[in-house]
Amino acid sequence: MNDHDLSTTSYYGDQPGELISDREPKPEPSLRAKKARDLYFEAKSSASMEFPYWYTRRWDELDGEIPVIRRAEALKAGFEHLTPVIYPGELLAMGKASYLRGSYPMPWLSEAFFMAAEDKLYREAQESGKLTADRFTTMGKGGGNVTKSTGNVISIAGKFGLRVEEMPAMLEVAKKWKDRSVDDIGHKYEQMVPGYKEKEALMRSVICMFDSGYTLPQGREVINYYYPLQFGISGIIRNCEESLTEAAGYPSMDRLYFFKAVIIVLEGIQKWIRNYAGEAHLMASLAVEEKERTELLEMAGRLEWLSENSPRSFHDALQLNWIFHVAVLNEDAISGLSPGRVGQILYPFWQRDMKNGVIDREKTLELLEIMRVKFTEIDCFASMGVVGGVLSGNTFNNLCLGGLQKDGTSATNELELLILQAGITCDTPQPTLSVLYDEKLPEEFLLKGVECTKIGTGYPAWVNNRVAMEFLQSNYGHEGLDVEEARAWSIGGCLETSPGSWMPLELDGEIHWIPGGSAPATSVGVHFLSLPKLLEVALFDGMDMRTGERIFPSHGYRMENYEEIWNAFKDYFSRACHLLTLTNNIQHDAWRKISPSLVNSLLKPDCLATGKDIGQMGSRYNTTFNIETCGTANLINSLAALKKNIFTEHIFSLDDYRNALLANFGYKNALESGSYSLVDQVPTPDYDHWKKIHKASLDAPKFGNDNPFVDSIMKAWEEWFCSMAHNYRSLYDQPMYACQISVSTHGPMGAVTLAGADGRLSGTTFSDGSVSAYPGTDRNGPYALFNSATCWNHSLSQNSQLNLKIHPSVVKGREGSRKFLELIRAYLRKGGFHVQFNIVDSRMLRQAQSEPEKYRSLLVRVAGFTQYWVELGKQIQDEVIARTEYEAL
Amino acid sequence: MPYLCKDCRYYLPVDVFTGICKITRAKLTPDDAFCEKSEKIPKCKFCEHFTPERDYLGLCMGNTLCYPDLVAAKCADFTWEKQP
Repeated sequence: MNDHDLSTTSYYGDQPGELISDREPKPEPSLRAKKARDLYFEAKSSASMEFPYWYTRRWDELDGEIPVIRRAEALKAGFEHLTPVIYPGELLAMGKASYLRGSYPMPWLSEAFFMAAEDKLYREAQESGKLTADRFTTMGKGGGNVTKSTGNVISIAGKFGLRVEEMPAMLEVAKKWKDRSVDDIGHKYEQMVPGYKEKEALMRSVICMFDSGYTLPQGREVINYYYPLQFGISGIIRNCEESLTEAAGYPSMDRLYFFKAVIIVLEGIQKWIRNYAGEAHLMASLAVEEKERTELLEMAGRLEWLSENSPRSFHDALQLNWIFHVAVLNEDAISGLSPGRVGQILYPFWQRDMKNGVIDREKTLELLEIMRVKFTEIDCFASMGVVGGVLSGNTFNNLCLGGLQKDGTSATNELELLILQAGITCDTPQPTLSVLYDEKLPEEFLLKGVECTKIGTGYPAWVNNRVAMEFLQSNYGHEGLDVEEARAWSIGGCLETSPGSWMPLELDGEIHWIPGGSAPATSVGVHFLSLPKLLEVALFDGMDMRTGERIFPSHGYRMENYEEIWNAFKDYFSRACHLLTLTNNIQHDAWRKISPSLVNSLLKPDCLATGKDIGQMGSRYNTTFNIETCGTANLINSLAALKKNIFTEHIFSLDDYRNALLANFGYKNALESGSYSLVDQVPTPDYDHWKKIHKASLDAPKFGNDNPFVDSIMKAWEEWFCSMAHNYRSLYDQPMYACQISVSTHGPMGAVTLAGADGRLSGTTFSDGSVSAYPGTDRNGPYALFNSATCWNHSLSQNSQLNLKIHPSVVKGREGSRKFLELIRAYLRKGGFHVQFNIVDSRMLRQAQSEPEKYRSLLVRVAGFTQYWVELGKQIQDEVIARTEYEAL
Repeated sequence: MPYLCKDCRYYLPVDVFTGICKITRAKLTPDDAFCEKSEKIPKCKFCEHFTPERDYLGLCMGNTLCYPDLVAAKCADFTWEKQP
């Protein structure tokens, strides 16, 4: 490496040609989908108060009622008062709120972050460290984000617009939840954990990104559509009425209240659906064209039917799935509610419709395109640190394809090919797609997946079926998960391996085993831990040198050898895990008591059988809490540089390094330079003084190059982390496990971290994922990167994440597709869990950064999700630009 | 009181800035003025149970918090205010 590396994108292979290469041309969506997507492009994220107003009003009316009944009545009031909106040309009706990208605050979870900055609630939240990440998050400035208040619109969290006439109501309703919200109740009791003040310091330093119990208490899981598809809403109500009579007066009385609560909330959902049917009738009465009138009347009829019954057709089934998807999203702040293996769940309906001539491929494709636009409309109302710093505005609805059937044969089908085709013709961020790769999957299907990935959508991601099944059997075997059930898995959220179950869908007298989610939220527990920041604090004996605050007590090591640095890091990491596990368990306990899940619970096997919601371990599988980390490659590279330069070659002392890190190697901080990667950084007048140590740091071996020295450090870290995570127990008294995805946290977490011994500069974004190389440091080609990434057993962890950026010319044409598939196969056959791609010319991204208005529809892959470039913050944009671009495979 | 598109039952909100007329399909803003085809949608501010208080807040039935622009089309107690 040399100085030149700081000012340009790195390439593996030849430099690209002079002209910026576009991605391969792709077919257009249907006219209907195009219009729907164009309307989406025009729409801004908008919040409203209808649902929270009615929820709170009903909640207050029922003071003293059994909590789960009170919750059900409040949800019912919210659903039945939502104003229905149907947009021109829609084939799938209904949405979260009465705007196209509608969402709303849920003050029963947390009320502080959207209060005015001068409000006491807001100030208290800030002091406790709950909002520190907000301050270091850069929101995307374009697309649908309402980044500033204008006219009659107030901007909240740099993303959501709220009409000024609803603002006082929002504040008044929020204040009603003071000392009653999950956040406030959880906070009251988490302070009883010994050493609690240390937890607040962890949050203020952004060693930990956020609490999970009141921010996103559900999600990163797979929904289960089986019960509505099989029994219809009235069928579920009838089952609950029978169960209720069997529970009344007998021991385990909570079952009685649960069944009653499910009935109440389903009645609210029925009313909500019928309100939409009424709106469809109104819209039909106003329609000028006969075709539109007919479609709207069909929609009204469909909704009326589905408010009671199981679906009659593929279109019905798709609509019913969507209704329940939105219904779950409306009960909690949720990211990553994945629809799962939709193509396999709906295949029996589609197959029957095809056989009976009810539908054809063209109509199916149009419906699937419309489904994509509907999923893309989903927004999640959360604080800036969460919605921007973690989610980048994304909601992570992962649709999985491939994998195996119950009997171990390939699960893919013709409908899945059409889902991939819809992903090509109507490229939108949601639902993102993942292929559950197995050697048994047919070549035609895999090549179709490659065709989709290489047009630059960033999806499908490629995930290893075998590794996931091994992980599930290791971690859920004690709950009864066997190899057959392991095959029903799917990805929840961006990349969380989630257990599923096979459910017997009976259609025309034939049983079809369909997969669906069978566990509650994953990625709850400890979220996220910044590995480079923890190393930094270890090097400075427990101090956060950015703020001058002591985070941990002195570790007591003299740090005279590498092992002492490693041990100090491990001690602090373990200490953070211990504290955060306990405090988050309390928050989740408050959540399940105050705001228990009802809609998601009624869908998840075996809640309706046991009469317990998911918070009471009603799900079949419950070992879902985990410990999530960020910045792996920076940690490993830093440890490698310290080991080599201090303890092996004795070029520098630890104090030399401490001073260099404090001086940021003679560069300005990223917040001053405005650049969040090593590209375009600005030296200070002291630069020459630090040049030698910075160069030695950059020149030290880097992860991702098949270098045994670095890879052994990676292996030691992974084996230790994946093992120690089991020492912590979740709220449900289950062992936790390692989860290694960055999502977008590598932006804000990098922003608060000093320079690293790896040569990374202060305030710049960390490496993404967990086995991605740090941008620009993977110099030996993809296969060297694969060797490094698979130096440890990926089935020890819930996931690992690898990102590659490839120039479009490399995978061009049919030959390029085959070469690309072989590359993917090579990684997965080596035991890699996941790989995803950006097929893009980096110079196009730079151009899009300077002229965002010309690139409204440009999609990129970040870390487990695809997002519109213009809706990403600069922290993440810079990191994606800086990633090594592969010009050859 | 001048009525605005956001008060009309034929106004289809796309976001907080714009909407579509359900009749003409024209693009509108919520703050555009009523036209000859406009009809009021039930909102708290049009209900006889509504008592205005300070800006953008009021009471329902004299004792429950509500706000004037809350759509009340699905409220069982909504009653059009009597015209003076």
